[in-house]
Amino acid sequence: MAEKGAGVAPGDRCAIGISFGNSYSSIACTIDDSPVVIANEDGDRQIPTLLSYVDGEEYTGNQAKALLVRNPKNTVVAFKDFLGQDFKSIDPTHCHAASHPEDKNGSICFTIQDKPEGEASTVTVSEISTRYLRRLVQSASDYIGKTVTSAVVAVPTNFGEKQREALIKAAQEADLEVLQLINEPIASVLAYDARPEATLEDKIIVVADLGGTRSDVAVVASRGGLYTLLATAHDYEYAGAQLDKVLMDHFAKEFMKKNANVDPRENARSLAKLKAESEATKKALSIGTNANFSVESLAEGIDFQMTINRLRYETIARKVFEGFNRLVEGVIKKARLDVLDIDEVILSGGTSHTPRIASNLRSIFPATTTVLAPSTSPSALNPSELQARGAALQASLIQEYESEDIDQSTHPAVTTVKHISNAIGVLTLSEDGETFTPVIAPETAVPARRTIHVDAPKEGGTGAQAQGERVEGG
Amino acid sequence: MATATTVSRALPSLPSDWSAEKDFKPVGSITASTQRTIEPVGPHFLAHARRARHKRTFSEDDR
Ligand SMILES: Nc1ncnc2c1ncn2[C@@H]1O[C@H](COP(=O)(O)OP(=O)(O)OP(=O)(O)O)[C@@H](O)[C@H]1O
Ligand SMILES: [Mg+2]
Repeated sequence: MAEKGAGVAPGDRCAIGISFGNSYSSIACTIDDSPVVIANEDGDRQIPTLLSYVDGEEYTGNQAKALLVRNPKNTVVAFKDFLGQDFKSIDPTHCHAASHPEDKNGSICFTIQDKPEGEASTVTVSEISTRYLRRLVQSASDYIGKTVTSAVVAVPTNFGEKQREALIKAAQEADLEVLQLINEPIASVLAYDARPEATLEDKIIVVADLGGTRSDVAVVASRGGLYTLLATAHDYEYAGAQLDKVLMDHFAKEFMKKNANVDPRENARSLAKLKAESEATKKALSIGTNANFSVESLAEGIDFQMTINRLRYETIARKVFEGFNRLVEGVIKKARLDVLDIDEVILSGGTSHTPRIASNLRSIFPATTTVLAPSTSPSALNPSELQARGAALQASLIQEYESEDIDQSTHPAVTTVKHISNAIGVLTLSEDGETFTPVIAPETAVPARRTIHVDAPKEGGTGAQAQGERVEGG
Repeated sequence: MATATTVSRALPSLPSDWSAEKDFKPVGSITASTQRTIEPVGPHFLAHARRARHKRTFSEDDR
């Protein structure tokens, strides 16, 4: 994970945390060591990952998203996962109603009219990312009042070496030094662990990151504040866009009941309106038990308006919701664990705002498992902000280090360590005789140090402890 | 980890003829360990990296 930075001297740095998604991105900084998610000039903290060009003018975020209706060809969406990939290995599904990715001499490009006049330009995904990152950095710099020079960026756990290199390069082109790329689920765990009220406890955590175009789940062992990934799973079928689709089909069918033979899904402009309003309705259903769907001139000049209640939504979206449960159960199995072993479930990503998804997950875990989502826990943080917060916290921890120091500390020689497979503990007396009392949990990196207080034996001797070699006692 | 767990149960007594050093009696052996990667993230990792790079133990690091 050695990040070759643009080489900014530690004293000159102004560092932020970035969550760069296919659907939305977020930027955060720390103020007095606590993370603050930054709103851009439109007042948005979840900034749609889009660029759109009209008459040579560049638009981003929600402004660009609104242009999908009348300017889809010059709007670039869902490009982030294409970074560092071969054209053959990408899935362009999500670009269907926007600029299509093309193969140009092996690199992925978009053809867009990004100048006021003249021919359209062919722009690589790397350049698109650079332009988008530049906008994020500009928003952050405006907020902080200083030029942002550096960042920690959160990436999916299956982001390959080439993708990492491509992201670092795209950032460099935007004059942004990447201090470190960190795994998204770990960023989310850090966001929770850094809260002032958090206590340091050994626990097994499941991080379910339910996004727009993908869902990623990870099982993490947290031991003395050190985090180890035990298993990960990725799914590109069940995510937020699938839920938009469910609502789009629902509203299209309702529209057709009144306007037979007019399918709003068959016209690009109607489809774009249908999609935008379906997403808005979906988000409203996370807060209210009823939501309004209303589009002027949805198709053939006909306005359309109707309400949907949450129960109806949950019924038509059931298949997708069940997919999330299966994904979570699958990754726990992959880690050779059982739901009973999971101490905490962190729901992250925009789709995690959905109350039913959180309660469905709640139902597969025992009552002793904490499920951190807005609808299941009053102390939950905003799931859309976790990764940016975690990245900002990491940025503040390492921004004073020389790049070389960061490289050395993240080197496998430092990060690859032996982890014990079984618990190490002591025998204690209970009603049924001698009982094993774990002191150091399985999957703890060694050397490790833990302290426990145990009563001295009733008579004679000082005590008997079992302890492992290479494990320091305490 | 600064905090210590308190267990309300007592330790068993050592046999009366026990004479090993430190009154420590291993009752089992450590089973195999696996090589895994700890995530280079967070304040506790920084402390780990410092110990690893300077080849220090916890106690040395405390000083
Ligand atoms: N309040 C909400 N209720 C339900 N869904 C929401 C809510 N807010 C955002 N979403 C959905 O969350 C998804 C975006 O998730 P997130 O912000 O985690 O994006 P992302 O990481 O860029 O996603 P990906 O990379 O998977 O495309 C979108 O489908 C969006 O509609
Ligand atoms: Mg995401």
